[in-house]
Order: sequence, then C-alpha cells, then structure tokens
Amino acid sequence: MLYRLFIAFFITGSCYAQQDSIQILELMEVSFIPTLKVNSNQLLQNEIQEMAAEDVGELIRKFAGVSLKSYGGLGGLKTISMRGLGANHSAIISDGFSLTNNQTGQVNLGQIQAENITYFVSVVGTSSSFGQPISAQIGGSSFIIETFENSFSDKKLKIRSSIKYGSFNQKNGYLGLKYSPNKFMFSAFGTYRDADGRYPYSFQNGNLEVNEIRKNNDYRDYNFGGTVGYKNSKLSTRIGYKKTNVSQGLPGAVIFYNQTQDERLATNNDLIFGDIVHIRPKFKLRGYANASQSLINYFDPTYFNAAGKIDVDYKNRNISGGISMNKVLISTLELFGGIEAAVSDLKTNDSTFALPVRFHNYGLLGTRLKLNKIRFEVSASSQFVHEKNNNGIRAKDRFRLNPFVSITGNPMNNKLIYEIWYRNSFRMPTFNELYYNNIGNNLLEPEDAHQLNAGLAYLPWNKRLKVKLKANGFYNRVDNKIVAIPTTNLFVWSMQNIGKTDVFGSEGVLSIDWQFHPKWKFSSDGNYSFQKTIDVTDRNSPTYGDQIAYIPLHTANLDVAVYFQKTGLRISSNFVSERYALNENIEANKIDGFIIADVSIFHQFLLKRTNSLQVQLNVKNVFNNSYAYIRSFAMPGINYLISLSYAFN
Amino acid sequence: MRLISLAFIVFIVFSCKKDKPEISEVEEVLDNGMIVLCEGLFQHNNASISWIDFDNGTVSNDLFVSKTGRQLGDTGNDMKQYGGKIYIIVNVSSTIEVMDATTFKPISQISMVASGSSKQPRSLAFHNGKVYVSCYDGYVDVIDTSSLTITQRIQVGSNPEGLSIANNKLYVANSGGLNFPVPDSTISVIDLSTHTEIKKITVGMNPGGVITDSQGGVYAVIRGDYAVVPSRMVRIDTQNDVLAETFPFDVSGMYPMNDQLLISFYNYSTETSTIGLFDPFTETLVSSNYISTSGITTLYGMKYNPSKNTIFILDGMNYTNTGYVREYSVSGVQLANYHVGLNPTKIIFK
Repeated sequence: MLYRLFIAFFITGSCYAQQDSIQILELMEVSFIPTLKVNSNQLLQNEIQEMAAEDVGELIRKFAGVSLKSYGGLGGLKTISMRGLGANHSAIISDGFSLTNNQTGQVNLGQIQAENITYFVSVVGTSSSFGQPISAQIGGSSFIIETFENSFSDKKLKIRSSIKYGSFNQKNGYLGLKYSPNKFMFSAFGTYRDADGRYPYSFQNGNLEVNEIRKNNDYRDYNFGGTVGYKNSKLSTRIGYKKTNVSQGLPGAVIFYNQTQDERLATNNDLIFGDIVHIRPKFKLRGYANASQSLINYFDPTYFNAAGKIDVDYKNRNISGGISMNKVLISTLELFGGIEAAVSDLKTNDSTFALPVRFHNYGLLGTRLKLNKIRFEVSASSQFVHEKNNNGIRAKDRFRLNPFVSITGNPMNNKLIYEIWYRNSFRMPTFNELYYNNIGNNLLEPEDAHQLNAGLAYLPWNKRLKVKLKANGFYNRVDNKIVAIPTTNLFVWSMQNIGKTDVFGSEGVLSIDWQFHPKWKFSSDGNYSFQKTIDVTDRNSPTYGDQIAYIPLHTANLDVAVYFQKTGLRISSNFVSERYALNENIEANKIDGFIIADVSIFHQFLLKRTNSLQVQLNVKNVFNNSYAYIRSFAMPGINYLISLSYAFN
Repeated sequence: MRLISLAFIVFIVFSCKKDKPEISEVEEVLDNGMIVLCEGLFQHNNASISWIDFDNGTVSNDLFVSKTGRQLGDTGNDMKQYGGKIYIIVNVSSTIEVMDATTFKPISQISMVASGSSKQPRSLAFHNGKVYVSCYDGYVDVIDTSSLTITQRIQVGSNPEGLSIANNKLYVANSGGLNFPVPDSTISVIDLSTHTEIKKITVGMNPGGVITDSQGGVYAVIRGDYAVVPSRMVRIDTQNDVLAETFPFDVSGMYPMNDQLLISFYNYSTETSTIGLFDPFTETLVSSNYISTSGITTLYGMKYNPSKNTIFILDGMNYTNTGYVREYSVSGVQLANYHVGLNPTKIIFK
C-alpha cells in the first residue's frame, strides 16, 4: 500500500503540465511604479537562454523565497514551496491561463519546457493583476510565464529556433514561427527532446562512496501548438491549442543494494484556450476560457498482484472560464474584480478510486485608492466548491471568504518603494487526498494560509550603473495543514488536517547592471532567503519547533554575467542549506546542503540586420558535486550542453 | 573579471565541503543487552539497528554501520537468530544480512534479486539447518545455513507475510495484500521433508502474522480490510491442517510470553492500543487489558524477555519520528525507555 501511496502522490503527481498557455504581458497590471516592485522578481529571455534551463523547475529556483523539490533528471518531478507554503498554494500561469491539476494539486514543473519562454515573473501576495485568471489572483503566490508563441508582436515575421546536444545523449529541437500581418497574429511551434538519462552519480553509504549510473531514466517529449490572434487599439483576442506528449522511465529512489526500477509513465495533454481583452483608458475587461484533458498512464510491469503488473490510466479534465475587470472610478480610485467558474473531473480504471467531479466558483472584488505617494488596496475573494462522486461518498460543500489588504508607499519619486500587506488564502484538498483508495479522507478541510509581509525596494542608481535592492520580512501561518499519516500500520496511511506551521522569513535581492565600458557590460543578480519554517502542531510532539522537512533555512542564488560586444560568460550558482528529510530535526534525517555552479559561454553572430545565430556551451554542475534535493534521489554530476540558436526578427 | 574569480573561489570553497558521518564504537562482543531492528521509512534507506546495553542502559543507534562500515538499506522487516547467526531481512533493498550472533560482524549479504526483479523478502523461520524466507513475489525461499545460498524456491499463495513451523510443517500466511481490496485468505502448508506445498487452508481475509506457541499450536492473525471486516486471531489444527477456531476478539499482533500469548490490538477509530493476555491451554482471553498502554503512542511490536521477566514494547511514535523501546514489568509498571531509530520492529536479547 505504501508503494501505491507513493505512486498516487508523487509519481502521478509528476504528470501534469496539463494546461499550458496564454497571457499577454502588457495585460499584467502595470502598477503606478513600473520599474520597481517589492514583491515581484523576474527573469528575462536572455537570462533564460543563457542558463539553458531544461524546464521551468530549473528556472524557478532562481527566485527568492522558493524551495525546489526535484526528484532529478530530465522530466523528473519538480515542485516548489514558496515561503514555506506547499506547492498547492502557488499558481503557475502561462500566458494568462492557470496550469492546474486537481488530482495532485501540483504541476510538474519538470514537464514545462523553457525554450519558448520570453519572460518569467514570480509574484507573492501582491495586488491583483487584471490580466491573470481570478483563481490565480487570490492564491498565496503566482509564477507567471509568457511564451513566444502567445504574445503579440510588432514585427511581421519572427522566428525562434534551436538545436541542442548534451550529456546523457540529450537531443533537443525547437522551432517557433510568428507571422503578424496587419492586426493579425498566426503562430505555430513545435519542440522535441529525448535523452537516455543514464547519468553517473555518487553517494555516501556509511564509509563507502558508491558510484553508479542512473537507470530507467530515459525521457522523450514533444509539444506542438498554434495560436491565432487579432488586436486593434481597443480589443485583442487569441485562440490557441497546445499538445504535450511525454514518455519516460521512472528511475525512482536510489535504493541501497537494489537497482530494479522498471516503472514507466506516459502523459498526453491537450489544451485549448482563448481570451478577449478590451482596453479603454479607464476600463479594462478580459474574458477567458480554457479546456484541457490530461491522460496519464502509469505502468509497472513487475507488480506482485494477480495481474502481475499495474497498468492504470487517469483522465483529468478541466474546463474553466472567467471575467476579470478593472475600472477607474475617479483618478484616485479604481475598482477591480471578476468571477471564474471551473469544472474538473477525474476518471480512472483503478476501481478503488472515486470518480469525483468538482465545481469551483471564484469571485473577487477590490478597490485601490491612489493618493499622492501612497496607495491602499483592499479586496475580498469568495470561493464555493461543490463536489460529486460517482463511486462513493462525496466531500461536503465549501464556502470561504478571504481578505487581502496592502499599503504601498512611494516617498522618493520611484527610488524607494515600501509595501506592507496581509493575505489570507487556502488551498482545496486534492482528489488524491480526498478519494484515493482508503488513504483519502473525504472529511478533509481546506488548508488555510495567512501571509503578512513588509518590504521595500530601493533604486539608488539608475544610469550606466543600475543597482536595485529589495528586502522583505514575512510571517506566514498554515492552519489545518493536510498531512499523510500512517494509521493502522506503516502500510495504511490516511490524510488528516492536523498540521500547523509557522514561517518566519526574510529575503534580500541585489541586482546590478553596469555598462562600464562602451563594449563591456557587467550584470549580477543575487538573492538570499531565510525561512524558519517550523512545526507548531503539538507542544508535546518531538517535532514541535523543528524545521519542516525539505524546507532549507537558507537558500541563495548568485548569477554573474560579463558581456563583451556579442560574446558573454555567465556563472549561475544556486545554494541550498542542509535540510531534513523528515520533520524530526535529528542527525539521521539530515541532508547535506549544496552549492551548484553552472557556467555558460556564448557568442552571437549577426547575419544581416534581422538574423542572428547564437552558439552556446553550458557546463552544468562544474564542480561535479554530489547532491540531492530529496533523500535518495541523486542528481547528476558535471554535464554539458551545446546549443545553436537562430532567430529572425 | 576580478569579481568572477572571486565568485569562483567562493564556489570552490563551498564545493569542497563533504561531511563524513560520525560512527560510534560498540563493544566487540554483544552481551547482556538487546539488538533492535528499526524498520526505517520507505525510500529513505534508513533501516538501522540499535544496541542497548542492559549493564549501563546506553543506546547505540548505529550498530550495523559501526560493525560493517555501510548502511543496512531500505525497510528492515525481520530479524531472528538461528544457531550462531543473526539473519536480517531488508525488504525494499531486497537483501538478507547475515551477522555473527556474538560479535555482530558481517558474514554475508544475500541478494534477493532474481532476473532483474526484487523478490521483496518479508519474514524468517528456521528448521533443520535451513532458513525459510517468505517473499512477496509468492514464494518461500530456502537458504542453507552453512553455504548461505538459496537452494530452492517453494511456490505459495500471493504476497506471503508471516510464517511459522510446527509438526515438521511450515505455515505461511498468504496475504494477497497487493490485490487489495480483494486480498488472499489462505495459509499454505509446506511439508518440510519434501519442501512442497501440501495444502492451502482458508482462514479469513488478509492473513498476516503466524506464530507457534510453546505447545506447538499455530495461531495466525487475519487482518480483515482495516475498515469493516475486523482483525482477528485464528487457530490452526496442525494434525489435520484445518481451521480450528476463529476467536471473537480483536487482535493485531501475537507475542509469546512463556506458555501464554500477549496479544495487541490497535483500534483504528479511537487510535488507541490495548494489550491482552491469551491462554492457549484454555483457548481463552485471560485479560483483555493486561498492561496499560497510556504511555505508548503507536504500539508497533512486543517481546517478552524470559531472563529479566519483563516485557519490551516497541513504540513507533507516529511512524515518522524516531521510536522508543519501553520496558514494563509483567505487572504493567513502566521500568525504562530507550530512544532508538525509526519504527523499531524486532528485538533479539543477548
């Protein structure tokens, strides 16, 4: 049963890059301080390309406040915790549409490719942005992706393409085309990648250093899709489609003395999406809708049941749509809000699983008062959830109201911004948590989160030398935390609302851009996060006051890049302090901290004016460190990637 | 450029850090104490063995590492002594570790992987110079105690768990746990002269533990479905190999104490345990509440120590926190607590 629990919560969890899609960056709420935001950090296209991140999971760890959980390798499960809240408290939004999964509640960031990303932003708790879905505006935090194929362009033809070859026999190909005659936009893209994933790794077993090769870690995926858009001065609209297909071996944990993994996972996702945006000087309106289907097949050819195998299909469908608006009432006062409705279901050939259908309604209403140097925002969101179960008992209906308040000040003419905010939010229990065999518990309550934050951003220089500083301090509280606990014995687990977590944290961000010579440029981005995330469930428990499993006390990133004309060098490093594999903070549960450094060298050839060709060499984990995010999931040592990219503008 | 080289130096300094685990020394000969197998947690590779010295009450939680220089592996399920050797079953690692019973020095590691697949060993029994190992792939493996090689595989029912020997026969509980919600309900009977299965006895849903009492009587636990069908104890008639009796009280585990059986029960709805006392001569429950379990968080196992005349109770805490071995007098007074590894499950007294 424990194996099946693992399958349910982690492996099938790895399946969902289910909905992907559109958003227009210009629709993101452009605040009254466009260049400086306290609670938002970003990665630009050139940074993403220079890092040669395989997927969104590799990028997302660069943001302050993020703790990545990576089970290793290409396509392997990657989820995050933002400021000590679980993965389910964060929304992943691509081009204005949420990527959600109601079976596991977590999107596998390892299956969202990064090649087509033109812009990537992390936002925590801040004010609502009209271009995002209502459901994402009221959550704990969001990560916003803009892709090449879904953004409008001012050029008639744009091409993006790349081919890559790397260690462990990795091959990538990407082609994106965008044709924009008059007011129309037609785009199409396709990606392909595969790798045998047989990476060497080493780990410590007592006094022995063991060196092995990762097995059953092959990976292949392809994506394709297209979007048609129309835009004039008042209105823009898009409709698009995206397909994702993944076939992968599941290498599982590195088990001492036993290397017999042979499970496989196949993922097939389809997504259609569309939106209409109307923008007037004092009124903005967006209507959006998307429908997705995710088919997952989990296959274990050597399972000791009567059939001698597990071959289970999961079909998770989701339809959602909503309206988001922003109205300026008088010059100092605006009103915003909207509604969204979603229906999702889960079907499976596992007869012991429920057949749940969830109806989820969201509402948001808020107001923003902009005075001379200070801005107040207050909003309230409501959610109503109703479920049906065609194979067993359903969970009861839920209704919640959640507030948000913030004060933002701009005392020094956009050189210094400060912000104080409080957000109350919750996450629904997932279908797995409610209904999975006898593990699920249909009496579960939603998991509540309170976030209180004070921060500032400072821009002391903004000329040839640009320096940006940010600091945030926060306190978060998670109540009714949903945790899996064994009940009758180690093999029968159940989900319970028993946890309480306190998070005391701080973040610092420092960005420097320095054009110190007409031909030379220096750029550096660093951040540091401190997150004391402790269990405060039960004073008599041995883990009371202990750091929660897998949340590091310290994380830091430092990226340094030097450019000479069209040639550059980037060093990208990621530091994660020691963590505990279980909530009990004892030596036996300790996982070593690590620092991983990647280096890339690149050169861009300009062919005529509109063409460019870039060659790039990435060396990842240059010091060949042995490390793991998750106990028993060893990560690769030093590896290489050569890329050739062509762009037409 | 200076900044870059500085950054490089910082990286190098950080990247050189590597911790070697500290391992405490344990005495050469294990005497007057107990060896405790701690199961660990699935996929954590943290099964461990603790040594508790009764002379001074000290606990060393890395006995296996200190004697072998390596880790035990993932999910330790059973540990028993036979002759001069201790056998330890590591389920997910699919190994059997064979140790010297006096010094705990390693003798052999038997791999329970066959044709690229784990056999997932579960439980041990011994007879006539042979080790019998139930394997979750539906077999009982026979290991010769002198050559320490697998000499035979005997096919039984699905997902066998506990096994015990009586009347020159081996009784194997076929749980069928991986076919849940339709588990197995039989016990396989194996003739130990011919090493063949001679019968399957239908005993009830989801058989688990099997023991033989001091008189050669065989008892098994049928665990039901953890929901509606209750967890009960049954008795096997070892002459005719038929189900003799299903007892009308709840049982999760059975542990011999002299001529009697301590029986434990975990109540799923109240999340509490009880410990009763069963008399195999009268086939009655002498006491349904023999020892108070108020100081125990998660009753995970028990073992009676005849030389000290005390009962050792294994407390799994909440399964994810390190456990305790709690010593009680036979009148139920708590005498000592020993803090051990994760999910203590088996004890050998020395």
